[in-house]
Amino acid sequence: MAYSNKVIEHYNNPRNMGSFAKDEKEIGTGIVGAPECGDVMKLQIKVESGRIVDAKFKTFGCGSAIASSSLATEWMKGKTLDEAEKIKNTEIVQELSLPPVKIHCSVLAEDAIKAAIADYRKKTDNNGSI
Amino acid sequence: MSDEKDLLARSLCWNCHSELGGEYFCDHCIKIQPAPSQLDYFQRFSLPRHLTINLQDLERRFHELSRKFHPDLFQRGSDQEKAISLENSALLNTAYRTLRDPILRVEYLIRLEEGAVKDIPAKAPADLLEEILELQESLEEYKQVGKTAPEKSADLRKTLLVEQKRIGSRKMVLEKDLFSLFEEWDRLQDQHLFKPDGQQAHRRSLLQRMKDLLSARAYLKTVLQDLDEGLHDHHP
Repeated sequence: MAYSNKVIEHYNNPRNMGSFAKDEKEIGTGIVGAPECGDVMKLQIKVESGRIVDAKFKTFGCGSAIASSSLATEWMKGKTLDEAEKIKNTEIVQELSLPPVKIHCSVLAEDAIKAAIADYRKKTDNNGSI
Repeated sequence: MSDEKDLLARSLCWNCHSELGGEYFCDHCIKIQPAPSQLDYFQRFSLPRHLTINLQDLERRFHELSRKFHPDLFQRGSDQEKAISLENSALLNTAYRTLRDPILRVEYLIRLEEGAVKDIPAKAPADLLEEILELQESLEEYKQVGKTAPEKSADLRKTLLVEQKRIGSRKMVLEKDLFSLFEEWDRLQDQHLFKPDGQQAHRRSLLQRMKDLLSARAYLKTVLQDLDEGLHDHHP
């Protein structure tokens, strides 16, 4: 199976690869995995006054999983949490022209986005109530 | 199994159009018949849907059926007969390979059961994922350090070799846990014949446990492969 040009482009030049310090209070971290293939994805967001100012990812998996998370970080930057939460895996599939067998990679990216946002919200909620 | 006979009896012989009795050959004209697609892999070998399988018995059944379908036997047959024997043999091989391997077997059984017992999501073990991610990061570092910092590289290698061993034995423990559930499933299957609606909840929770173990195993297997590869390709 051949990868689309966009997948290859993200694979060769991944955007925003790396990590933030997990314990910083403006950072939200989402770690998810795909049991079908054993891929693991970490996506982190840096939030300032309700807006995602930076995002980073680390993905250990196939080219499609790496491209999906790379694209996800690109799309999240500059969005509010509510806006970012609305990113759908189908949009990732479309943008990267993922074939049916690689759709789960885009699902993984969507799950990672949601997990990172949820983690950030949980952190700030706790800080508020303590 | 009576279900199996029913399925087979429903179709007609492609050659003489007489009703088929329940074997892979027509009673009337003795032509080979395509294996009914509704039969699952267990039914193909006339086995109950059990997870514990006697491999010698399975092999014996496989050979018995293979001998009936083998394409060599139909060399001089019509194109239709050749095609059917080829397809039956291919299906039989896939079924055999799947049932012979305990992991493929349980994965197949879960897929079959999910048709009936719906929506069994695999829970992602969060702490396991985090652990694997850290391990992958050290592996990446090890690959990058390479020959530029031999001391650091040797240290990392030592740590990774320990991790490789630990993950390997953890995978084995997981597999043992998984196989120990096989008997429980088989007992439940046997009881199921007498009171089909009795233990849906129990069946479901068993399938869920098996699926969780399989998913954790998949992560360990991947990271283990990456470790084996990385440690093999990059020497200090």
